[in-house]
Amino acid sequence: MELIFLPLILGIIAFFIPTKWVRPFGLVASIGVLAVSIVHLIGFDPTNYVLILNPAETFPLGLTFKMGYDGLGLTMVLLTNAIISIIFLANLNREIAQSPKFTGLTLLMQFALLGLFTSLDGILFYTFWELTLIPIFLILYWFGKQDNNRALFKFFLYTLLGSLMMLLSFIALAYFSPNYSYFNLVQADFHGKAFEAALIMSGILFAFAVKIPLFPFHTWQAPTYTNAPMAGTMLLSALMLKMALFGMIKWMIPIGFEGLVYLKWPVITLGGIGIVYGAVIAMKQKDLKTLFAYASISHLGLIAAGIMLFSLSAIEASMIQIINHSIVAIALFLAAGIIEERLQTRNIEDLGGLAKIAPHFGFWFAVMTFISVSVPFTAGFIGEFVLIKELFSAHWVIGITAATTLVFGAVYMLRAYQGSMFGPTKVTSFQDLRWNEYLVFAILTVAAVGIGLYPQIIMDFIKPSITFTQELMSGDLTLTK
Amino acid sequence: MGKDMLLLILISLPLIGAAINGTLGKIMPKLVVGSIATVLVFCSFMLGLLLFVGLDQTTIVHLFQVAKFDDFSLDVNFQLDSLSIWMTLIITGIGSLIHLFSMGYMSHDEGYHKFFTYLNLFIFSMLLLVLGSNYFVLFFGWEGVGICSYLLIGFHYNDAEKGIANSLAARKAFIMNRIGDAGLLFALFMLLNQFHTLEFVQIGKMINASPELYTGIAGCITLCLFLAATGKSAQIPLFTWLPDAMAGPTPVSALIHAATMVTAGIYLTVRSNFLFELAPTTKDIILVIGIATTVVAAFIAMRQNDIKKVLAYSTVSQLGLMFVALGMGAYTVALFHVTTHAFFKALLFLGSGSVIHAMSDEQDIRKMGGLSKLTPITHITFLIGTLAIAGFPFLSGFYSKDEILAHAWMSSPVVYGILMIAVTMTAVYMFRLYFLVFHGSFRGGEKLKSHVHESGLTMTIPLMVLAVLSVFGGILNLPGIFFHHAGHWMSHFLERTTYGLNQIKPEHMDGNQSIILMCIASGVALIVLAWAYMTYVKKQATAKEDADMNAWEKLSSNKLYIDEIYQTVFVQPILWLSTTLSKQFEERILNNGIFRLTSAIEASGNYTRKWQSGFLASYLFWMVMGIIGFISYYIIKSSFWN
Repeated sequence: MELIFLPLILGIIAFFIPTKWVRPFGLVASIGVLAVSIVHLIGFDPTNYVLILNPAETFPLGLTFKMGYDGLGLTMVLLTNAIISIIFLANLNREIAQSPKFTGLTLLMQFALLGLFTSLDGILFYTFWELTLIPIFLILYWFGKQDNNRALFKFFLYTLLGSLMMLLSFIALAYFSPNYSYFNLVQADFHGKAFEAALIMSGILFAFAVKIPLFPFHTWQAPTYTNAPMAGTMLLSALMLKMALFGMIKWMIPIGFEGLVYLKWPVITLGGIGIVYGAVIAMKQKDLKTLFAYASISHLGLIAAGIMLFSLSAIEASMIQIINHSIVAIALFLAAGIIEERLQTRNIEDLGGLAKIAPHFGFWFAVMTFISVSVPFTAGFIGEFVLIKELFSAHWVIGITAATTLVFGAVYMLRAYQGSMFGPTKVTSFQDLRWNEYLVFAILTVAAVGIGLYPQIIMDFIKPSITFTQELMSGDLTLTK
Repeated sequence: MGKDMLLLILISLPLIGAAINGTLGKIMPKLVVGSIATVLVFCSFMLGLLLFVGLDQTTIVHLFQVAKFDDFSLDVNFQLDSLSIWMTLIITGIGSLIHLFSMGYMSHDEGYHKFFTYLNLFIFSMLLLVLGSNYFVLFFGWEGVGICSYLLIGFHYNDAEKGIANSLAARKAFIMNRIGDAGLLFALFMLLNQFHTLEFVQIGKMINASPELYTGIAGCITLCLFLAATGKSAQIPLFTWLPDAMAGPTPVSALIHAATMVTAGIYLTVRSNFLFELAPTTKDIILVIGIATTVVAAFIAMRQNDIKKVLAYSTVSQLGLMFVALGMGAYTVALFHVTTHAFFKALLFLGSGSVIHAMSDEQDIRKMGGLSKLTPITHITFLIGTLAIAGFPFLSGFYSKDEILAHAWMSSPVVYGILMIAVTMTAVYMFRLYFLVFHGSFRGGEKLKSHVHESGLTMTIPLMVLAVLSVFGGILNLPGIFFHHAGHWMSHFLERTTYGLNQIKPEHMDGNQSIILMCIASGVALIVLAWAYMTYVKKQATAKEDADMNAWEKLSSNKLYIDEIYQTVFVQPILWLSTTLSKQFEERILNNGIFRLTSAIEASGNYTRKWQSGFLASYLFWMVMGIIGFISYYIIKSSFWN
């Protein structure tokens, strides 16, 4: 229980402590939460569900209040807690870290995310899904650029529409399941009506597609990212959109598995389009944040397409890629944030030669660029390898489409890096990395290389969960793997 | 110590060097940095020799399992057989010489420790590439050498004049290689789907058990493998990055872009020989591409004026020749040429490095001339390299080229004829280069001339060693007519334990024909030498300025306009697409569509808005509080019930 409620309590405390304590408080609090989740990790057996809340009876509306985690859930919990700590660390010297609003809201966001990843009840899942929206919206509203209402409005509208669809799907699920317990939902019996299952699934899918974002529901992303403060962009891309990918793996596909036949290829196609579309657009963007936003569409299209295959290998690889994407997102947006903070611009054309005057930044940005193009010894290498392999085995066309990311990724990332770091120096001074920024890059690199060398450590967590879910889904279903 | 242990030490030594220099290099004196890097690679070479001498059978060393998936696993295994150990010897042997050379060549460079870190990392990646016992480790190394190549081509990204050009060249190399890498990736996927393993020997055994099952898929796999090879080994259509890669420091060109990395494609093909043997169509394609590349590159090389560009196109051309051999199924012959080429091309590049060093970084041969007296050791060794590559009788290049020509003659006189044209062009541009640089009068001005000096010992020792190897390298694989029993030693060595090669029985042509072909080849080399001597020494001809060139010279000098064609056909359309998508599609269709929808909603919302406070923030705040309260209430309630 403390796993989920600790950030809520700490978040509320953050609003009331003296302002001068806020800056260290955020970091310490998030590390505390991380420590708690690590305690949960010790002695955790991936083959079992750990139920942290399991009331015996059913409440009105079919609410069951079940909460708990398996390997998949705990992986996401750990990822969330680690990333939140890193976000606090990365922002430690910035003005934003001094604000009780920001610190409090981020911890509330953490609470909502942890709740979402440990929900074992449909209504709880939906509630937490909605709940995450509030802190992020307020962070964007209070700390974003002044003239960002249009972008914010677009973001809000899109997510609202998505949520509405998801709500409808969950209401409809009441007809197929005795209550909203995850275990019952997964066993929901559609009496062989694959189309109805697909319909329900597509409602949930819409909410996820907006959040991921899947082509063509992505237009909120770039303006929202560019207007958001660095911390907001990090929260959005490293954590919030992972909710949707997690939701696909844990909720959408297991619940509406009968309907997968209808949705599998449309989503894979959209993912494939997104891979190429995002990459092609990223190639000519001048704003670093916009560029990374489109790159993100490209990377996530690959993960979403892989998840829809729902084979064990593809899910394992997707999880590796999910973690890798969080690492890369934090790193790249930190790099963009560092440049913006020092120079008040993110335009590649105004930059150049930074590697010469800030060699440490030059080095770490280069490392991160290589990690994001998935070179060997990094997490993305294994993740991309297996994802593209699974897609290629499903159909060679999607395999080849997905593999373009290998080439295009190198094109836009090297352009972004070389454009800003190499060439003639256009600025007079540039403060090199501060200790906390240094530390963030180092931690992220260690994580990416560690997973790249031994991804098995994550796969061992995921595999039992997926097998369990597959066993849970009624026996007459034939799974892809 | 067992072989396993020795092999692992051999692989890890360069990595240790990179780790030391990467972390402590900055604070250590240059001499220490360079020595650590050089000595460690040399130790790898000695270990390699030890393993080479004790080699009796294929050994596979299991290190660890990266990941186990449903129907396949990715393992880091190494394989010790004649092919891998042979490549290891080339890499570490030539590698340590080039490390030694770099200690002198880079001595004035600020990024000294960085350079040696990258160089050691490169050796490590290359060792992974050739020593891996499966395609996965090979791919690891394959990508790894690509990164090192990128880092080293763009090494002088801060250079005031050429900084941007250098980093663009690095980017081009990386991206073009990545296109090839995608091919390798597909090959791996098909292999996994077909065989559920990536181990060379296991795949080979499965194929040999029932070859007829795999003829169809082998065609697809080998085409993808060959695409990968065209990227790394700079063949048509992916060859244009290699000449640009000369932007890197010259030792890099010698090591990576002449002797080792660019031969990875040939290694890959030889390693996968059991697949290629099942795919005659692919072999024909390789043959055609190889021939086209060797001719095109040799043609371009004839009118280049940058000393390194000439050598770069020459490398492309020689690599094409190796692929011709592969296309004819003469795997060991291709490797023989890889070996001798490594000797003389490394020699030529290092020689050009010594020239450039002496000329205070001037690379234009129009400004050189008469260097034979000023830099005597460089001159003699460069001459040996030139003679070796031009196929002068009894030097190493003579034997290895002759083997390829002999196979070409046996397969078809047309192929032989075209190859002879390429061979002639090779002699022409090499002698042109040699005479323009070392003979005639100095054209760089008096000021520059006074600075010209012979390089120090760290640079000349590698030159001399390589010169000796270039002269005697042919002994490794003498044709049967010289020694009936001892001939083709290297071919026999490679065939003994390399999987697949031991199944193929190479054909050797009879003595008389062989002697005739050798005479023709030597004749050509000698005639061109005489012609070049007449033209450049007796008549004192110099390289023409662009304005004086006739049509074919312009074509050659402008590299057949291939870069421009690629720019128009591939690069521009994609950039156009990028702009159009973001400006037209994204803005007009996706965005405006949404906003039209929202304005409709807004209109309907005008009525309800009246009773809202207007403060979105406070509104949301109460929403949060409500939800939190609601959830907390139920959770506390349910906790009590528990």
